[in-house]
Amino acid sequence: MDGASYQRFPKVKIRELKDDYAKFELRDTDASMANALRRVMIAEVPTIAIDLVEIEVNSSVLNDEFIAHRLGLIPLTSERAMSMRFSRDCDACDGDGQCEFCSVEFHLRAKCHSDQTLDVTSKDLYSSDHSVVPVDFVDPAGYDSTDQQRGIIIVKLRRGQELRLRAIARKGIGKDHAKWSPAATVTFMYEPEIHINEDLMESLSLEEKQSWVESSPTKVFDIDPNTGQVYVVDAEAYTYDDEVIKKAEAMGKPGLVEIYAKEDSFIFTVESTGAIKASQLVLNAIEVLKQKLDAVRLSEDTVEADDQFGELGAHMRGG
Amino acid sequence: MADVEFQYLDAGSPVVRERFNFGQFPVMLKTRRCHLQGADSQKLVSLKEEAAEMGGYFILNGLERVFRSVILPKQNYPMSMVRSSFRDRREGYTDKAVVIRCVRKDQSSVTLKLYYLLNGSVRLGFWLQGKEYLLPVGIVLKALVDTNDLEIFNHLTCCYDEKYKKEKGAVGSPLVSERVKIILAEVQDLSLTTRLQCLQHIGEHFQPVIDGLQSESYYAVAETVIRDYIFVHLNDNNDKFNLLIFMLQKLFSLVDHTSVSDNPDSLQNQEILLPGHLITIYLKEKLEDWLRKGKKLIQDEIENNGKKFDFFNLANIKKVMEKNPSKQIGTSIETMLKTGRLATQTGLDLQQRAGYTVQAERLNFLRFISFFRAVHRGASFAGLRTTSVRKLLPESWGFLCPVHTPDGEPCGLLNHMTSTCRVASYYDSRGNIRDFSKMRTSILRVLIGVGMIPSLPKLVKSGPPAVLSVLLDGRVVGVIPSSEIEKVVAHLRRLKVSAASVIPDDLEVGYVPLSLGGAYPGLYLFTSPPKFVRPVRNISLPSEESQNIELIGPFEQVFMEIRCPDGGDGGRRNAFPATHEEIHPTGMLSVVANLTPYSDHNQSPRNMYQCQMAKQTMGFSVQALKFRADQKLYHLQTPQTPIVRTNTYTKYSIDEYPTGTNAIVAVLAYTGYDMEDAMILNKSSVDRGMCHGQIYQTETIDLSDDGNKVDRGQKLFRRNKDAKSLHSVIDSDGLPYVGQMIHPGEPYCSIYDKTTNSWRTNSRKGSESVFVDYVAVDMKNSKNLPQKANIRFRHTRNPIIGDKFSSRHGQKGVCSQLWPDIDMPFSGVTGMRPDLIINPHAFPSRMTIAMLLESVAAKGGSLHGKFMDATPFANSVKKTNGDTGTDESKSLVDELGEMLRTCGFNYHGVEVLYSGVYGTELTCEIFIGPVYYQRLRHMVSDKFQVRSTGTMDQITRQPIKGRKRGGGIRFGEMERDSLLAHGAAYLLHDRLHTCSDYHVADVCSLCGSVLTATFIHPQKRAIREIGGLPPARAPKKVTCHACQTSKGMETVAMPYVFRYLAAELAAMNIKITLQLGDGATA
Repeated sequence: MDGASYQRFPKVKIRELKDDYAKFELRDTDASMANALRRVMIAEVPTIAIDLVEIEVNSSVLNDEFIAHRLGLIPLTSERAMSMRFSRDCDACDGDGQCEFCSVEFHLRAKCHSDQTLDVTSKDLYSSDHSVVPVDFVDPAGYDSTDQQRGIIIVKLRRGQELRLRAIARKGIGKDHAKWSPAATVTFMYEPEIHINEDLMESLSLEEKQSWVESSPTKVFDIDPNTGQVYVVDAEAYTYDDEVIKKAEAMGKPGLVEIYAKEDSFIFTVESTGAIKASQLVLNAIEVLKQKLDAVRLSEDTVEADDQFGELGAHMRGG
Repeated sequence: MADVEFQYLDAGSPVVRERFNFGQFPVMLKTRRCHLQGADSQKLVSLKEEAAEMGGYFILNGLERVFRSVILPKQNYPMSMVRSSFRDRREGYTDKAVVIRCVRKDQSSVTLKLYYLLNGSVRLGFWLQGKEYLLPVGIVLKALVDTNDLEIFNHLTCCYDEKYKKEKGAVGSPLVSERVKIILAEVQDLSLTTRLQCLQHIGEHFQPVIDGLQSESYYAVAETVIRDYIFVHLNDNNDKFNLLIFMLQKLFSLVDHTSVSDNPDSLQNQEILLPGHLITIYLKEKLEDWLRKGKKLIQDEIENNGKKFDFFNLANIKKVMEKNPSKQIGTSIETMLKTGRLATQTGLDLQQRAGYTVQAERLNFLRFISFFRAVHRGASFAGLRTTSVRKLLPESWGFLCPVHTPDGEPCGLLNHMTSTCRVASYYDSRGNIRDFSKMRTSILRVLIGVGMIPSLPKLVKSGPPAVLSVLLDGRVVGVIPSSEIEKVVAHLRRLKVSAASVIPDDLEVGYVPLSLGGAYPGLYLFTSPPKFVRPVRNISLPSEESQNIELIGPFEQVFMEIRCPDGGDGGRRNAFPATHEEIHPTGMLSVVANLTPYSDHNQSPRNMYQCQMAKQTMGFSVQALKFRADQKLYHLQTPQTPIVRTNTYTKYSIDEYPTGTNAIVAVLAYTGYDMEDAMILNKSSVDRGMCHGQIYQTETIDLSDDGNKVDRGQKLFRRNKDAKSLHSVIDSDGLPYVGQMIHPGEPYCSIYDKTTNSWRTNSRKGSESVFVDYVAVDMKNSKNLPQKANIRFRHTRNPIIGDKFSSRHGQKGVCSQLWPDIDMPFSGVTGMRPDLIINPHAFPSRMTIAMLLESVAAKGGSLHGKFMDATPFANSVKKTNGDTGTDESKSLVDELGEMLRTCGFNYHGVEVLYSGVYGTELTCEIFIGPVYYQRLRHMVSDKFQVRSTGTMDQITRQPIKGRKRGGGIRFGEMERDSLLAHGAAYLLHDRLHTCSDYHVADVCSLCGSVLTATFIHPQKRAIREIGGLPPARAPKKVTCHACQTSKGMETVAMPYVFRYLAAELAAMNIKITLQLGDGATA
């Protein structure tokens, strides 16, 4: 490697931020970075999820594995996840999840005594650690708000049926199992650059303009009611579907509009499952990405890398 | 169930009734005798049954057996046939005959055949005790009624009239009179003139053959023959005579080519065998057998004991009768239903003896329901080389589904009834028994009212085209002038649909019009039950009559003008205006075929494949899963309701038993792992529960089953207190813990034998770990300790590589990869990743356009939050309904595309996707949308077969076959050929020899024998072994037993089977001699 530096300084501009939703711009970087960030957010940011279920009594209609699977998919608040240990790396316990460094224990006891069906929900899970609890869903739309918030239904019990179990939640990543993925959706799009050829556009009649504008399934263009000029309302609504370009060609006006994707700016949309806040998800992803890159940097000295990063280092070398 | 038996003694003595117990009778579910009859869904659930239990099957030995309906020739209809096999009957026979299957009121039947002979004469044939009896028809004619030659001549020749010579509908010909003369001459030759003489003649021939009449007079025998074998559906001899005349006329017309033969393979001339009818005739025969046996016993008793036996003492008779076990009758019916096999001497006039019941598999609801809709052509046709019986004929339109038939061996033989098709039975729609004789008299009254000339007292001597004969259930009731006939038919149809009339609504008005050499004309009316019916709309009726749905049968349908939406005018133009109309074009499809969305847009074989696959889908098979002990039950954990569905789906509430998942399907060639019908599943989707499933498998352990009678009750389920290692898997009662996981080879139940004081454990076979789902003990046959246990195991079957999936359009594929979510392509707008990727090559050659439509429709439906109606032929129905012109131009695609567009999606259902690996835009837009996917029951876990070393065959020392036993897969001739072609000699040698029965044999080069080598055991152990060195080949000393020397002994590597072959040949006194030489000289 000679002196040429390819170093860039990516910028992030946050557009919208909610607990479970984030929208931001990522500029001055390329697709590989953007996609790496996306991939890490989906598959490699650690969270906590129920991984081991010991069923004491289950007389419900669902079988044991079904219930265990459902429990696993319940998102748990995982702010602690980054600082926790993977139970396979934990030296404080032998991996059966009894220690506080790598696992959290849950208990569930439910029995239906009435004739009404009893919904066993995530609220019935009692955690040994108050920082790791099932995600509390607050419905912003106020739907069903008259009823008390009941959480995620695990199983329904009729009179006499009972469910009693002990569950151990562990730290994990989405790559191993989707239940550890903190991201519901992470996507990015290239920022579009739209140039309307004004001269050509003026050669169209108002009706033609109207039909051209309407050819886009999303509302990208509009016509100024006063001047009759076509202008871009929302460039980001463009889905790269080429509909307007095709329409222009069909109208015999190729080059009416030119649309490019900016190669170095991206608009990210992040939705979290609630396990961690969307903002934290992005930060954690960057952290994980940094760790991975550190491993690459140190990969010359593999022994050292193994010491420092354990399996991550081995993974980076192509494990 | 106890039955009543009548006994009477002769000569006016009082009738005595005695009760006999005929044993138990299997009860069909939800019939009158069933405790579930009339139970509502709530009660059914409390009885631990399915909420939507429909019944209609038997439970025998814990298995659900359904009756497999079989096609029979249409009853009481004289069918003209041309069959080369008729020629082989006897010398002088032609291939032409008229055949009628006469059916009594109790559904027992006798088939009669009228053969045409080369000399112009006719023989009447019927089967009796495994032999066909052929009577000259003249004798039968004369024996039936008092008549004379002239009358017979006139009757037979009346259908020929000079003036109608070549006119439409003329069936007679001048040759008829010649034939009649021959027929009459035949009788003359036997010097039989009067009826009595004819009867005597018949009686003389049949007296020795008919059981129990050996001592009767000839006259009585002949009367019995006529009653029991000739036109058994008619009671009156005049009717029989008239029918015979009619059949002769039809036969002559067939011979003269004035009418064509009827096709016995066409549904027009067929009906169906129903379970009740078969059981009735089987029961009748069994009862007859029992009576005959009882009679024989009494006779024997009288002969043996002579005077001592008092015949008039009822107690004596009863005592004798007790030797004849009456309970057998119940058991024989039970075995018939259990095995589907008829144990009968006479054959009951049926084509096959076995295969009348099958097990109803509850793989999923669609498979289960198909068992009740299936109609088999008959087992005897399966072996037939010709394909004509399998042909899809236009006559079956609307009755049998053209789509729903398996491909392969039973193709075209195993059909399914359409969703609208029904079978008329002895019960009407309200469940009351119908009175057919009353119906017939009222029909007769109506017919006479509209101008029919009744045949009684004497048949009208005239024939087509002037008049048409009217046959009511195989009885010639009269003639109607052909000018009147159309009006009569229309009148009958009107009466059929009107609720007030006495004419049954399923009366089949088979009007065969006059034609030039077409089917033999006539008006054939059928009321009798086991026939197909389907509803159509009668549009010839004035519209104010609200009731215009008419039930039609396959016989009449052929000659009716039924309009079908989008069927155009069916070539009838204006000459034959449509009188009827199909209710909906989907009525021609079966229940399963009806569920395929937009099936009218698919290539037709794909719809057939879908019908196949719908029946192999893992779905929600049963709701009362907890209370069932089926041997194997497939269960989908989280099924979904399809977004795109036909109206049949809601009509039959398939939501109670859903069979698939709405998966987001992207159509692209992504990694190469979706080549050749492979498909890539998204691993995260599978992690989240897509297509998860279980297999429930029940094992029954019956301790009283094994061992002899002495051992019974000596075995118990009990855990060995001393075997502590078992305690983690087996509970104190000797049975496994519920919820316990059992690994392959682990014991799951422990049995103690009191007599031998020994313990035994049953171990899991197979290669899968299973969970114990449920343990049930059966206390029925034991005093206090359980002797029988049902253990239900649960296999988790989550999708893995190699499992089979399919869409609803015959597009099946095998999962080739569980691909990481992050590597899947994603949509930049929604962030959506597909659950499933299939290859675009799956479409061009298969032309399953409906799948593309489903994807677009489901996408639109899910965006708008509603279910989409995908009923086939909706387009054509809409047009005919005369909707406003604005909608006319809108095609289905436009409608669906518009839905997507309003939500900001591409009109054609494509989306811009980004590579999940690189984050760059994929070069073309990808077709993506939700498609309902089914998981098929074929899973690798049940099929994979691997072996390196393992069990060998004892004799050949070759690897054994069979997956269960850990065997290998045969490397056969064709595989060998391909290796030869590749020149892969070493591999070939490795496969066929080294890995198989490699063997080093000692051969004597002097005598060339492989078999004569004998070992001389070395006295001392080799010294080298002690030194810890690897043992060299033991320096075995071998001598040739034949040559008495070890000089010429050589070792030769050969397949062991070769040695075995030499030994086998030696046993046949054939010696194999090997000539040894080194490679250079050979």
